[in-house]
Amino acid sequence: MELFTPDSGLIFWMFVSFAVLFFVLWKWGWPVIMKGVSDRADLIDKGVEYAQNAKQQLDHAREEADKYIADARRQQADMLREADKMKTQIIEEARSAAQTEAKKVMDAAKVSIEQERKQAEQQFRNEVSSFALDIAQKVVRNQMKDEKAQEKLVNSLLDEMEKQN
Amino acid sequence: MKRNILTALAMAIVALMLPFAAQAEKHPADSTEQKSGAVDAQGIIFEHLGDRYGWEVPFNHHKSIPLPVIVWGSDGLHVFSSSRVEHGKEYVDGNATFRVAGKDSPYKGKVVEIIDGKEVKPSLDISITKNVCGIFIAVLLVIWAILDVARWHRTQGMKGPRKMTGAVEFVILFIYDGVIKPTLKTKANKFAPYLLTVFFFILVMNLLGLIVVFPGGANLTGNIAVTLVLAIITFLITNIFATKHYWKEIFNPDVPWWLKWPIPIMPIIEIFGVFTKPAALTVRLFANMMGGHMIVIVLTLLIFIFAAMGPVVTGATAVVSIIFSVFMLLIDVLVSFIQAYVFTMLSTLFIALGQEEGHDEHHGEQKPEHAAAVTTSANPSLNESKI
Repeated sequence: MELFTPDSGLIFWMFVSFAVLFFVLWKWGWPVIMKGVSDRADLIDKGVEYAQNAKQQLDHAREEADKYIADARRQQADMLREADKMKTQIIEEARSAAQTEAKKVMDAAKVSIEQERKQAEQQFRNEVSSFALDIAQKVVRNQMKDEKAQEKLVNSLLDEMEKQN
Repeated sequence: MKRNILTALAMAIVALMLPFAAQAEKHPADSTEQKSGAVDAQGIIFEHLGDRYGWEVPFNHHKSIPLPVIVWGSDGLHVFSSSRVEHGKEYVDGNATFRVAGKDSPYKGKVVEIIDGKEVKPSLDISITKNVCGIFIAVLLVIWAILDVARWHRTQGMKGPRKMTGAVEFVILFIYDGVIKPTLKTKANKFAPYLLTVFFFILVMNLLGLIVVFPGGANLTGNIAVTLVLAIITFLITNIFATKHYWKEIFNPDVPWWLKWPIPIMPIIEIFGVFTKPAALTVRLFANMMGGHMIVIVLTLLIFIFAAMGPVVTGATAVVSIIFSVFMLLIDVLVSFIQAYVFTMLSTLFIALGQEEGHDEHHGEQKPEHAAAVTTSANPSLNESKI
C-alpha cells in the first residue's frame, strides 16, 4: 500500500524543512527564550526573597521601635523623677543658703548695731559728762565760793560716783 | 439562546450540504468507476489521506491550487506547474512527456515520464507536493510563533507575555519543565532546542491537518515519510550523543553469562531494541493521526454511501455523521496535542537512556539516579500500553 511506503521526495523536503526550522529556532529562538525565562524566574525569586526580607525587617523594625519607645518612656519618667528630686534639692539648698546668708547679715547688723550703740553710748556719756561738768562747774562756781566747801563737795560727789559704779 | 445557536448551526449544516449534494450528484457522471452509482469509499479515503501534486480547493473538483512539480527525467531537470498534468493530462516539456500515472499503474498518483509509450518513474521526484507545501506552512507558523516569544524576551525584558505570546510560552515551559527537565536533568539544556522544536513542529502539523481547507488539510503527520524523518532524527541524536555506558549495556549487558555466550541472545535483543524505538515512534504518530483522519472521512462518506437509500435516510445519516465527525474532530484536537506530547516525551526518554552513566563509577550518589533510570525505563512501556 502506498500509504505505508515513504515517498523519497517528501522525505527529502521534510529533512530540509526540519533542518531549516531547527536552525532558525536554535539560532534565534530557544536560547533567547530559555535565557529570558530563567532570568525572569531569577528575578521573581529575588523579588520574593527581597519581599520576605523586607517583611522580616519591617516586623523587626516595629519591635525595635516599640522597644525604643518603651525605653524613651522609661527614660522620660526617670528624668522627671530626677528633675523633681533636683528641684526639691535646689529649693532646699537655696533656702538653707538664704537662711545662712540672712543669719550672717543679721549677725553683722547686730554687731554693727551693738558697736553703734556702744559708740553712741560713749558719745552720749562723753557729752553727758561734759554737760554735767559744765553744769557742775556753774553750780559749783555759785555755791563754792570757799575752798573748804568746794573740797567737801567734790569729795562727796566723788564718793557718790564711786558708789554708783 | 442555546436553541437559537442550535437552529443556526443546523441551518449552516444544511447550507453547507447543498453544494456537496449537488456535486455528489454531478460527480458520478464523469467518473468512470462510479457508473453503478456506488461510492468508491476506499478510493476517496486514500485520495484524502495521500499526497498529490496540486492542492484542492473546497467545492471544486476541477481546479486546484497549482504547485511546482520538480522531476529529474531522462534528459535532465524538469520544473512545471502541477496544473499541466491535472486530470490525467499529458504535458510535453522539451523532449520529455509527463503525466500522472493512473489508478492501474504501479506508480499510481505519481508523475511519470512516458518513453516509447511506457511509464517510467523519474529518477528523482522532489516536487513541492501538497504535503511538502503543508510542511513549509507548518515551518513558517512554528518559526513565527516561537520567534514572537523570543522577540518578546528580547524587547520586553522581564515583563510577562500576554495573549498568544503568553500561551506559546506557557506551552514551551509546560514541555520544558514537565518533560525535558525532569528526565534529562543537567543535560536538559543541551537537548531542549531539538525536543521543543519537534514538539511544536508536530503540534502545528497535527492541527493544520485538522483544518479542512487550504492552509490545512494536508495529512502531514499521518504520512509515514514525515514521522519517519522525525524518528530518524531522534534515533541519530540518541545514538550520536550516547555514552559509553549505553553501548556497553547493548553489547555486554549486565546479565548472566549464558545469555551472552555462546549465543549472544541479550546483545541481539538489545540491538534490536535500538531500532524498534524509532520504529515505534514512526508508527505511533503516523497511525494515530492517520486513524483520526480516516474516521472523520469515513463518517462523512457514510452520508454519500447512504445517499442511495433515499432522501430521508440521507438526511438522518447526515445529521448523525456530522455530529459524530465534529465530535471526532474535537477529539483529534486533543489527540494532536497528546501525540505531539508523547512523541516529545518518548524522544526525551530515548535520549535520556543514551545519556545514562555507569552505576559503578560513583557509588555514593548513584542510588537516586538509578531509581530515576528505573522509572524512566518503566515509563515508555506504561505510555505505550495507554496510548
